[in-house]
Amino acid sequence: MSPPTDGEITALVLAARDGDAAAWDALVDLLSPRTRAVIRSFRLNQADTDDVFQLTWLRLVSNLDRLREPGRVGSWLATTASHECLRLLRKAGRQAPGDDGWEDDLVDNGRDVDDGLLVSERDRALWQAMGMLSAPCQRLLRLLAADPAPSYLEVAEVLTMPIGSIGPTRSRCLDHLRTHFTRITAGPEGSSR
Amino acid sequence: MNTFDNDNHAADDSGGTSDAADDELLDELRAVVSRVDPVSPEMLAAARSGFIWRTIDAELAQLTSDSVLDADRMAAVRGASTPVLLTFESAGLTVEVETTKGVDGARLLGQLVPAQRGRVEIRHGGGTTTVDADDLGRFTAGGIQPGPVSLSCRTEAGALQVDTDWFLV
Repeated sequence: MSPPTDGEITALVLAARDGDAAAWDALVDLLSPRTRAVIRSFRLNQADTDDVFQLTWLRLVSNLDRLREPGRVGSWLATTASHECLRLLRKAGRQAPGDDGWEDDLVDNGRDVDDGLLVSERDRALWQAMGMLSAPCQRLLRLLAADPAPSYLEVAEVLTMPIGSIGPTRSRCLDHLRTHFTRITAGPEGSSR
Repeated sequence: MNTFDNDNHAADDSGGTSDAADDELLDELRAVVSRVDPVSPEMLAAARSGFIWRTIDAELAQLTSDSVLDADRMAAVRGASTPVLLTFESAGLTVEVETTKGVDGARLLGQLVPAQRGRVEIRHGGGTTTVDADDLGRFTAGGIQPGPVSLSCRTEAGALQVDTDWFLV
């Protein structure tokens, strides 16, 4: 799916404000993958992930008329979702990304994943490699891999990173991913290359 | 794995070939994510159907105080059984709610401010539960399904309708 423009998003928000349910559905379809990617990056359990996802969209329903910049509703959703994820982590007395003690390595990306869904060895290896990345890299790549992908501006807002550092960080993270991936696919002996 | 063999220096610079290889790898990752961890049809349906809650005639009471975040500042003890106190404010009405987790769902203890009689419609995943607020503006409800909740309050005197923003119980 090609990324929607701010203009397209604005048009959908304005139509939804006028009560157009089809425009609302289109917004949900376009922005759900990246909203979910944001929530996933906080490593909540499945029930909490689903709760925050639903809450975020309901908050948009109630705040639709108050959005100052309708074209940036993607950022609004991401911010709302992040806020609620942090709240749930605090409520449970758990660490949040950036806190001392947040386990930065070995994020289990595939905790709830049924291995049967990974159709090829290559997929499996890539997913496994993804799980070996640092949390910040996983967060960035999960966001960038949402379909359709968010803009760098939106990614910068969500991850509170300078927009100029996204490109270089993306490169670095993909490099790490590639290294892990190559190592995994090199087989049990592992040192062949 | 020839595609990746010559890319150990990919992050060094923005050369054309490594950019293309990066794009390719990210595309591949995108395909894997959409297969392995997609937005479920149920979640998409839930997000779509939320639109039915859109009301234009009710005033929105926004969350202005949340004990979870306050407690964090004070480094207080917290846990799943600690009650959560939320305050929602609109121009005409303030709604205070305390939520507690119970065995058969959450329990709500609420207060309309200024104190007055009214009717409170609690919208939650299990449907809608309607309770009355007494002369002092107090109301209670049990068996609220965990998940997103919103309170639609109609005051008896002014026939004012105020909906709280959604929150998780």
